[in-house]
This record gives sequence, structure tokens and C-alpha cells, in this order.
Amino acid sequence: MQRGEGTGAVRRVAVSGVGAVCGMGWGVASLWEGLRAGRPAFAPLRRFDPSRHRTRLAAEVGEPPAHLSRAIPGWRRLSIADRFAVFAAGEAVERAGLAFPYPSPDEVGVYFGSSTGGMYESELFFADLLRGRRRLRLSALASQQVNGPGDAVARHLGVAGPVETLSSACASGALALAAALDAVRCGEVEVAIAGGADSLCQLTYAGFNSLRSVDEAPCRPFRAGRAGMSFGEGAAVLVLEPLERVLARGTEPLAELAGAGASCDAHHMTAPDPAGTGAAAAVEAALADAGLAPEAVDFVNAHGTGTPLNDAAEWRALQQVFGERSREIPLVATKALVGHLLGCSGALEAVATILCLRYGELHPASNGAEGYEADPDVPVSLVTGEPLPLPDARTAVSTSLAFGGSNAALVFSRWMDRAA
Amino acid sequence: MLTGLGTLGASGVGADRLAEALAAGRPVSREVDRSAGYHPPEGARRACLMPAVQLGSWLSAGEARRMSPPSKLAVAAARMALRCAGLPGTQEEATAVVVATAFGPSTNTEVLLKQILCEGPESASPSLFMESVANAPAAQIAIAARARGPSLTVCQREAGPLLALGRAAGEVARGRARRALAGSVDEMTPLLHALLDRFGALARPGADGQEAARPFDRRRNGFLAGEGATMVVLESEEALRERGGRALARVLGWGSAFDLTAPVTGWGRGAGTLARGLLRTLRRAGFEPGDVDLVVSGASGSRTGDLLEAQVLREAWGKIPLPPIVAPKSVTGEYGGGLLGAAVLAAAGSAFGPTAGFEETDPELGIVPHDGSPLPPPEIVLVTSLAAGGAAAWLVLGRA
Repeated sequence: MQRGEGTGAVRRVAVSGVGAVCGMGWGVASLWEGLRAGRPAFAPLRRFDPSRHRTRLAAEVGEPPAHLSRAIPGWRRLSIADRFAVFAAGEAVERAGLAFPYPSPDEVGVYFGSSTGGMYESELFFADLLRGRRRLRLSALASQQVNGPGDAVARHLGVAGPVETLSSACASGALALAAALDAVRCGEVEVAIAGGADSLCQLTYAGFNSLRSVDEAPCRPFRAGRAGMSFGEGAAVLVLEPLERVLARGTEPLAELAGAGASCDAHHMTAPDPAGTGAAAAVEAALADAGLAPEAVDFVNAHGTGTPLNDAAEWRALQQVFGERSREIPLVATKALVGHLLGCSGALEAVATILCLRYGELHPASNGAEGYEADPDVPVSLVTGEPLPLPDARTAVSTSLAFGGSNAALVFSRWMDRAA
Repeated sequence: MLTGLGTLGASGVGADRLAEALAAGRPVSREVDRSAGYHPPEGARRACLMPAVQLGSWLSAGEARRMSPPSKLAVAAARMALRCAGLPGTQEEATAVVVATAFGPSTNTEVLLKQILCEGPESASPSLFMESVANAPAAQIAIAARARGPSLTVCQREAGPLLALGRAAGEVARGRARRALAGSVDEMTPLLHALLDRFGALARPGADGQEAARPFDRRRNGFLAGEGATMVVLESEEALRERGGRALARVLGWGSAFDLTAPVTGWGRGAGTLARGLLRTLRRAGFEPGDVDLVVSGASGSRTGDLLEAQVLREAWGKIPLPPIVAPKSVTGEYGGGLLGAAVLAAAGSAFGPTAGFEETDPELGIVPHDGSPLPPPEIVLVTSLAAGGAAAWLVLGRA
């Protein structure tokens, strides 16, 4: 909102396309299939030797479809995180029915979240440097930076409007979507390509293990005996546009991004505020932004990392926002299946939330495997076992609660219901 | 309203030190420690490094012990900015924190990677890891100031500081925060310096043996890397009126664009695209190029970056004469928020000396930056920053 901007009605913002790649596979179809089946994507790590790490599992992305390296110019020069991002962005704009390069590229913006960008490639470079290798491949460092994936998307799609990367740890993806929502609402852009990307790397794998926040078994959010998170990787991208523009084009919106909110615990670098006050403030701000009351929320896609402290703090936040309903409101824990995608997690969980709304059923945290006993201290209604039919669900909240106390919440609505 | 400024950099601690250096047009570069062997033998040797300063009056011993170098700089700058604004160090209301960093906590990342790669992953230090994330400085500011509003970290290389200030201004303008702490921080480690040099980004010694940044000069051959932190306080007019404070400047507009022709590590040729982005930024704020009294340019001495900057300015202004242009990065260095600090000082009416490093006009650029003659206090200041890799950002500041 700047001096020259109008003060007219705020534009409603539609999600016209989504794209994703994660441990479930390349593409939204494989994501939904895996989520619906409650099939965790964890397997022994192959990207690097995990033998000296404390844990050995990750939801690692498999080999890309063979045609991608030919279809995407410069594929070989992209970092792994860049590749994820470019793929997911391509899938999202295709679903949106938008042709790229876009005829008016100044009207398109990229808003991206990432924690580490091309850190994996930087590690390879640094290892060579430490070994004293004389001929160093500087090109391996070229997209090392956190802004690498977002910039790669902009280049791939020919975007000439704003391009901005946010790196607020695990809230990055959700905050990027919030920034994109602002940009579309106020008319700064007509099309926002927004999401996140991160790839597995030794720095984060060893770092989180040093904090003892990784479970040796697949993570068990909100369950008894949970012992930490599990790693994932990938990218998720949403195309955001003014609702009327999507409808005018004849494209069916997937959902409406109705609101966003953010806050900070201002408590500790790694531990959440145990009272959950900051997380609750983010959800309340998002609902206020959407003009909705907590009673309107049909389910929550929780941050749900599986660490004892995070899940307990999130439960207290839910209690503050939803009161008595906090025990009953269905809770989706996407990380239980795809792991923690760090700077991308908020974006991937946004896609999962949209899919749940669209298909009218909530994916389970697992298909009933062992280790899913309820924790009496966090008595949430976690969806487990089979998908939970919820055909009348109209509104969902997705939360992202990060390192450093940075919190974000997004409110998605099934657009047809809101339009009715 | 911009009501507080805190800054630390090569010129020292505090806005007064930066203002003195800018008024003198005096670059403050120091020898980089090359003993680790990361640098090529013929490589760059100097950078605008922080002097050995004590931050004891801004940080407790405990804070200094647990924070990474950029977190320390950012928290100190934030506390300076709050003091400058006449605000208590601890905020009672939802205050947003938006910090830009190009490289994040580089020392911690480097040491942590050495532990993992050389000694094994089981040697990774948890305290180093928690202060290796890019948002550590923003988080530490929030903890120090009890700022419970949105906490955002922007990573968009040289465009980041202006994007951060714009995003913070948006949080205040939209009513999500009555106040925001916004700015930029970076440290310049020997490894980072060596890598920037290997990419050919840094100034090398010229024929005269001098290693200097020369914005818009015919002989420019790279920038001086810098380090430091600059944080500002932004407040809504209502919040400022209620407490009866004084403003340094107004934030009138912000905007950004992307140059698709840019290589991943350099500047492109997309002057037309970026000129449209600049004009969009001005017009969204309600101005035309002729309204701008002063340009605080992000020109750094980069061969291709300054060429692009000159082309963008000339294309945006067309037949209208360009206003005076100051290019403070030859004093502050690239990274570390020096540009932002200089921009706020410019909008507040601070004097600028001759452009450090500029001696010879480049006919291809056709830009003669400020020569140090007295300038009237500007009403409207345009701040520019074109990033390697394609991103570009602009900020419009006004007199308070």
C-alpha cells in the first residue's frame, strides 16, 4: 500500500495452479496419491553417506523424469533445489492455463521461500576447496545462494516483475505465499508464482541432528513417544491471480487464498514459546485478514514437526484460537508422510491443504502403522489410518512455525462456496 | 515515517561516523586476511571491513557469546535505531522485524561445514548451527526487542536491503504493525571475499596500484566488498503522533523488477525492463522522474553493473536532465547496509562529499556523480540497487 495506490476494494485472490515435487514423486498427482494412501516416503538416505550421521532416513526425491533434462533449458547447470523449483513452477502454470513467456512479463512476480538454496552444491565445492583441489568448479557455486531457486523460476518463466526470496527458516514458504497474496491484492502484480524449494544437504542434516531434534524412526507428529522430525526435500508452487481474472479466463480456481498472518515468538532461537502465544497470534491474524471467525475453520494442516516441544506448543496455540473445538477440529500432519521440507514446507503443506479442500477428504498422517498412539498431553484429532471424508469443508488453516520463532498462517477457502 | 537510524560499518559505529565518511568522500578499506589460502595470489586484497570495535554498550556479554557476527551487528544496529527514535529498547506492541542478508551468518556456516566435512557430522556444533540460519539476525533482534510482529528475512543479494525496507513499510502501512525494525546486515569473511574475487566481482589494483571502487568511472574494475549493519525504525504517522516523536524521513514508495538477461552471477543488459520498473515504482508513489531531487545510486564500481545502472537512469529520465547522483558504495563497500544508511542520511539532509574513486567520466555511461559541491536538502530521494543475478529494487524517500 503506497501513496499512489487506490483505496478501492481489496481483490480476492485465487489459486489457479499448483505444482509439487517431494519424496512422493514428481508432480501433484503422485503427491495426492501418496498422501491419500497415508504412505510415508521415508527411506535410507542416498544423496550423501549417512553412516556417521545420528539418523539415516529422509524422504528424498527420486530421479527426475527423463524428459526434463531436455525440456528445461540449462537443466544441468541448475542446483537440485533449483530443479525442484523450476519443475514445480512449470507444473503450476500449466494447471493455471497460463502460457509462458507471459505476454506482459512486468505483471508477473516470483515470491519464493528457501532455507538453504543450493547448499548441497556448495558443500561439494567447499569439500574440493578444503582438499586443495586446484581446478575448482565455480559454476557449482553459481546458484549456491538462498535466492537461487526463486531466481531460477523467474528465468525459466521469463518473469520481469518483482522477484523476492524470503528465508525465515521453516516459515519461508508460507511467508512467501503471504507476500504474494499482498502483491496480487494491491495490484502490484497480476500473476504471482509463489512457493518454496529446498534440497537435502549435510549442513541441515547434521545441524538438526546436533540439536537432537530428528527422530531415528519416521516422525510421529502429535503422537506419544514422538522423538523429532524427519527430513524431506522438494518444491511446491502456487499460481495466485485475482479471482475475477481466473474466472474470466474460464479456468476453474483450485481454491482461494483468503488470508495470511505472521508473528514472532521473540522467545528463543530454536525452542518455541511453550505457551504457543506467537503461533496463536499468527493464526488469529490470518483469520482476521480473511474476515473469518475461528468457527469457520473446518480443519487445520498443522506445522506438526514431531518434536516434543513444537507439537506441544502448537497444541496450546490451537487451544487459544479454537477453544473447546481444539480437541475436535480435524488435524492434518503432512510432514508425517513427506518429512520436513524446511523452507518449502509451508508451500507444500499449502498444496496439500488445497488438495484436501478440493477433494473433500483429509489425508491421514499414516495408514495405521505402529507408533501412532495418541498423546494424552496433546489431545488433537489427528487424521490417521484412512482419509477422512469432509465433503463440506469450506475453510482450512495451514500453519508454519519456524526456527527463530517466526510464525506464519494461511487461510484457504474452497472458492465456489465463498462465491455462493 | 522513518524515525530512527542505527548503523555500523567500515567507518565505525553510529550514524555520525558514516555521515562524516560520506561528507569527506573517504573510503575506509582494510587488508583482508588471506592466510587461509582461499585467495588467488593476484587477487583482491582490500575490503570495507569493520574496525575492531567494542559493542559492549549495545550487547550484553551473554548475547555477544551466543550470537553469530551478523546477529551481533544487527542487534547493535537495531538498539541504536530504537535509541535514535527515542524509543525504549523493549517493544510493548507488535513490532515487525525485516532484515536483508545476502549471505547470512558466513563465519558460522564455514566453521560448521568444516566440522562436518573434516571431522565428521557427529562433530557439528548445535550452537553454531542455530546461528547459521539466514534468519538468525532477525530472530535475535526480535528476542532482544521483544518484537512480536511478523519476522521476515529477505535474501536477494544487493537488492535485499531496499526490498526489506519496502516490505517493512508495507507491514506498517497495512496496519499489521505499528512499528517495524528494518534493515540489512552482512559480514565479509576471507572465504566470502575470496569467492567474490574468483567470480571477478571485486576491484583489483589498477595501474596506480590503488585497489578502489570507482562508481561510474571509466577505469572501474569491480567493487569493494563491505560488512556491517544498518537498521531503521519505521512507524505509522499515528503511532508517531501519539508519542510525539520526530521523523528523519518519509518512506514514500518502493518497487522491484527482474532483468532476465542477467547471468546468475552478474548484471545483464535489460535496461528497458528495469527502467520500466523504476518508473512504475515512482508512479505508484505518485511521482515522475522530474520530481526526484537526488539519486542515491547503488553503483558500486562494477564494470557491467554500473553500465546497467547508467542506462536505466538515462532511459527512465529520457530528455529530462538527471538530478544529482551520489554513489556511496565506494565509501561503505557493497553489502552490510551502507547504502541504506547513506540513503537515510541523504533524505535527512546530510552533506555528501565528492564521489570517492570517481575521477574520469566514462563516455559510454555519461554519468558524472556528485562532485562534493553543496546540495540543497532534497524533498524526494530515489534509492537504487541493481543486484547481480537480475533482481533490482528501488525506494522513494522524502523529507520528513
